[in-house]
Amino acid sequence: MMATELIPVSVLTGFLGSGKTTILSHLLRQPEFSHTAVVINEFGEIALDHELIEKTEDSVIALTTGCLCCRVRSDLTKTLQDLLRRRDEGACTQFNRIVIETSGLADPAPILHALMTDTALAGRLALGSVVTTVDAVAGEVTLEREAISRKQVAVADRIVLSKLDLISEVEASLHDRLTSLNPRAPTTRAVYGRIESDNLFGVALYDPEARVPDISSWLAEAPEHNHSAHDAEIKSFAVVRVEPIQAVALTLFLEALAEHCGADLLRLKGIVNVAENPQQPAVIHGVQHVFHAPAWLSHWPSDDHTSRMVLITRRVRREWVEVLLDAISAEVADVSASNR
Amino acid sequence: MNPLSIRLVHELITQSLAAWHVAGTVELTGDCGIVIGAKPKIRIAPAQAGSIFRWTITIEGRTRQAISLLAVLRQVRGALDPGYAACRVRIALLPVAPS
Repeated sequence: MMATELIPVSVLTGFLGSGKTTILSHLLRQPEFSHTAVVINEFGEIALDHELIEKTEDSVIALTTGCLCCRVRSDLTKTLQDLLRRRDEGACTQFNRIVIETSGLADPAPILHALMTDTALAGRLALGSVVTTVDAVAGEVTLEREAISRKQVAVADRIVLSKLDLISEVEASLHDRLTSLNPRAPTTRAVYGRIESDNLFGVALYDPEARVPDISSWLAEAPEHNHSAHDAEIKSFAVVRVEPIQAVALTLFLEALAEHCGADLLRLKGIVNVAENPQQPAVIHGVQHVFHAPAWLSHWPSDDHTSRMVLITRRVRREWVEVLLDAISAEVADVSASNR
Repeated sequence: MNPLSIRLVHELITQSLAAWHVAGTVELTGDCGIVIGAKPKIRIAPAQAGSIFRWTITIEGRTRQAISLLAVLRQVRGALDPGYAACRVRIALLPVAPS
């Protein structure tokens, strides 16, 4: 490879549940993305996103050691260096593009800062574009509540409005908010994760000077990034069940979570072994009050057929969630037994 | 409702009070009932056999019925947590086979 052939590294960011993985999964099925290496960062006990992306090559890496923005100097740069080494040795796909999917809680500023300034990477990689997903349904509330989500929008080269399949039209106030945060970023629309544009990551190299003034200060602050903000109220935990879960029990469980946690259920995603259809796992996604219809995978992505649900919550007790699922499952089993 | 299940419900109510930041005690009674010692006092018991409901909930002498634990939680929290505004969400039953 010639020294001047810089590999673009694009960053896909966006708040929890805004559709990053769905969009990425769709993109990776397109021929033009066949030579793409993917780095996925998750804020949770169990990494699921890499299982939800139907790409079996060895060019998908899951970083599960914490939030990417908090460990950017070590984990991310090491991961990228390792990817390049494997590419040079022919040990993985000869990728010509890298996409980093950040965790939904990640502050994108230190990630961009590292990509722009790390001398070990500078000769091989170049920052491509920053794409930020915004949930067209819950986006306005999220932008109001979560400073990180505003930051994610403000650094974007392109904004993807997701979940347009759930609403008839996007509120003008959301458009106004996005424009005020980032007047230069074009907006792309995603329906069921499919994007209108095939040039999503094809914009010019990132130029922090071109952003609104706040971005420069955020980037300047990046080396002193305070990661304690993640820990104060937001917690992530996994609920795992070996036994298949009856469909009715799963439905009631999700309904109870939505009803009692509301906006404090920042994100739920999971792969569930539904008792009535154990051969095909159901993939569930929920954001605050909104749950998507489950998507059925054609087969289990691994030998692990346990149900695994990762919840990212604010002030929600794990003990309550665990016993809620157990009690509802017991009640459904009780009713089923009495109806036989 | 078998004894194992009623213990689970007892644990669920106990954890729910903690989750909702509501002070009170939760006691099992000998007749498979549960009494929540809070303001107001609440008694939860399995509904009579043959009833279409599964639970009876007595709050300040007024008895109501509930068809599921989800409905029990809704009524209990509504009585104990004045700041609770239920976010009523209906989620369609999961299709048991992919469409």
